[in-house]
Amino acid sequence: MFPPKKASSMNSQERGVCVQPDSGLVLTTDPKPRLRWTVELHERFVDAVAQLGGPDKATPKTIMRVMGVNGLTLYHLKSHLQKFRLGKQPHKDFNDHSIKNASALELQRNSASSSAMIGRNMNEMQMEVQRRLHEQLEVQKHLQLRIEAQGKYMQSILEKAYQTLAGENLKNNINGSHHLHQANMTPPQDFTSSFPLNPNFASFQDQLNVYGGGDDQLDHHLHHHQFMPNSSNNTENLCVGMNNNSNKNKRPLFWNNEDLRLHHHDDHLGTASSSLCLDTDPFKDVSLDRITSSSENNYINIDPISDMYDTKPLLHHQEDILGDASATDNKKLFERPSPKRAHSLQPADQRMSPMISTGTPF
Amino acid sequence: MAMPMPIDMYAIPELHFSDYTAATSSDEDCNYWNHWSPVVNWDSLTCGPGHEGFHDLMETMMEDAAGVMSPQTDPSVEEEGCSNSATTTEVTTADDEVDDSLEDFNKGLRLVHLLMAAAEALTGANNSRDLVMVILVRLKELVSPTHGTNMERLAAYFTDALRVIVEGAHSTKHLNWIANSGGNDNRHQIDMLTAFQLLQDMSPHVKFAHFTANQAILESVAHDRRVHIVDYDIMEGTQWASLMQALASRKDGPHIRITAISRTGSARRSIATVQETGRRLTAFAASIGQPFSFHQCRLDSDETFRPSALKLARGEAVVFNCMLHLPHQSYRAGESVESFLRGAAELKARVVTLVEEDAGPTGKEVGFVGRFMDRLHHYSAVYDSMEAGFPMQGRARALVERVFLGPRIAASLARIYRMGESESGSWGEWLVEEGFRGVDISFANHCQAKLLLGLFNDGYGLEEMGCKNKLVLSWKSRRLLSASVWTPFVNS
Repeated sequence: MFPPKKASSMNSQERGVCVQPDSGLVLTTDPKPRLRWTVELHERFVDAVAQLGGPDKATPKTIMRVMGVNGLTLYHLKSHLQKFRLGKQPHKDFNDHSIKNASALELQRNSASSSAMIGRNMNEMQMEVQRRLHEQLEVQKHLQLRIEAQGKYMQSILEKAYQTLAGENLKNNINGSHHLHQANMTPPQDFTSSFPLNPNFASFQDQLNVYGGGDDQLDHHLHHHQFMPNSSNNTENLCVGMNNNSNKNKRPLFWNNEDLRLHHHDDHLGTASSSLCLDTDPFKDVSLDRITSSSENNYINIDPISDMYDTKPLLHHQEDILGDASATDNKKLFERPSPKRAHSLQPADQRMSPMISTGTPF
Repeated sequence: MAMPMPIDMYAIPELHFSDYTAATSSDEDCNYWNHWSPVVNWDSLTCGPGHEGFHDLMETMMEDAAGVMSPQTDPSVEEEGCSNSATTTEVTTADDEVDDSLEDFNKGLRLVHLLMAAAEALTGANNSRDLVMVILVRLKELVSPTHGTNMERLAAYFTDALRVIVEGAHSTKHLNWIANSGGNDNRHQIDMLTAFQLLQDMSPHVKFAHFTANQAILESVAHDRRVHIVDYDIMEGTQWASLMQALASRKDGPHIRITAISRTGSARRSIATVQETGRRLTAFAASIGQPFSFHQCRLDSDETFRPSALKLARGEAVVFNCMLHLPHQSYRAGESVESFLRGAAELKARVVTLVEEDAGPTGKEVGFVGRFMDRLHHYSAVYDSMEAGFPMQGRARALVERVFLGPRIAASLARIYRMGESESGSWGEWLVEEGFRGVDISFANHCQAKLLLGLFNDGYGLEEMGCKNKLVLSWKSRRLLSASVWTPFVNS
């Protein structure tokens, strides 16, 4: 039994209804007029069906003849019969319930028989709404996972491509990459070398060229940082920046909806959003280290990719940060032993989607 | 700015613009110019602020065009002449006194009109190759593919596309801005992958297409043990990563088989070869424990799909996936797509997922100019939507534009030009004619799309159309991409 107040508020939300004068059918007044199965109409329907030997025996045509109601079409009857067949048991109960409502409300005849329909619709609508909400939550969950999967896949592609490129550079580059060779040849990186290059350095250079001149801030950064003698952190930053930022700034892009936040706020690495860091690059782990140790918003980057994810105001900030970071970075570089690599890799992977086992899958 | 322009200065007839006359040569052409009337009624178009009327704009345009044909008659200084005039005839209008945004707007408007005039000159009643070149020269001075506003960069690519059309197919050596690998393949591939990654971050196009199709596929094969997906243009295979994830999480998920359609040639400049994609997908599937196998199916030399070339297994649900106009894809010939879709009917596919761009106006009365302007409108919406994704990072956008959108624009315009009036409507319409039935987009699918768009800029919109089997992604009321689901009529 619904309090009258609610009924009236429902009424205002209901579509307009009008009672057909000749047949007494209640139709809605929205563009596509739909029939309202009032209690009375439904009772007649049930009677007709019973006369014809039950819902399985009755057909819309025969029902129509038996009921003899003007304005009732086969279409109406077909769908109603189907519903009746499907939900025969609950329908009966519902029928009883709405009859009670109707009889109580019959006193207020001026509301027309739509008030009974209101009751019925309320129930249906509530169920519908709940169902939809539940479905929506499911969809949200799945969407997250799917986006992650896609991100991981892209990451693997990019990693492979950079690997191949690094391999090529190794073969091709002769000039200016004396250090490059050194760095690549000695896998446990020789940190004392002033140019412990990320083997990708050449490719980043090319990328910077590729993007062409243009963004003033970026050029400024490049000139400022690119040929610094202590450029280890530069290249680190190139890698880190990408890794850090591509994850970091992706998060606002993807997870700005509260409900979609899957990971904690302090998860620097984010999830499987693609980073452009090399898989086999030993520096990768260093970057992980640095990310976890440095505070959240200190992106130490100057590379073009991260520039893309940054917003303008932060670019100025970076310049300051870079100075500070370089000192700590170098320390980190020097004190990183091999075992730590595995260690640092672990938590990252665990934070990733559980579907990929620890260690890079491919 | 030096340009190898094939204009013969002597061939330019006498022109009369306000008080300015250029040196003339032949007399026949003279008449043509004097009788030339603007095919576009400028007055009927709205004016931008700062202009008293179109009259100013037109005069400006004429002066610009005239400025190119400088008084020097010596052909050897042709190139210099062009560059000189560029600096000396910089038209100073009222624009200089107004603020930047207004200036941008005016400039944008001017570019649009120049482009429209070029399109008219190309195919209108009084078409003239020379006039087109003149306008293109002027355009080229005003625009750059990497600098300036969206409109300017877009106009650069449109200008280049038009130039390619005018100069004919042999002009590939003049492809100034259109993506050319230049360096080695690997570098180019990295470019493309990076651009693709950026594209995915900047805009929902790709994810919308993939996820909507995947959801429809998931629903249609919900109870199958074996699923066979035939993908028309697998590219780098990202779409299937998320599908596999969705299926692998099921208790007893099906075995997935993917057959990728491959084409002879053009693999060098694609984002990934089919074999590479196959390897990656196989590795990915292994990593998530999804039973998987990968196959290739080659198209004929004329890119026709033959259903007999496909290896089928018993009891498998066949899915045909047809992604057509995603930003990072190339155009495919109409007959090829037709053969693919017909193959779906012939093989009684369970479901066909189709993603295509908004077709634009069709019909005989539209003409090249109409379609040209429609494409301009379409791509300007695409550019705007990209900018919304990455407002500050012009370089990233320039990369995406250079690698993907530029070639798309060129191919799109070339196709429109070639096909003329026989341009067909959307593939969705074609499917209806062929007897396919639409499969409703489920609530979950619609919901997913809405949520996805919610992660991006507000400007994106979603519509459900065409008897509920189609979802359309739009940017600020301009429809961009439509994802629809079909089934051959035989399956009922």
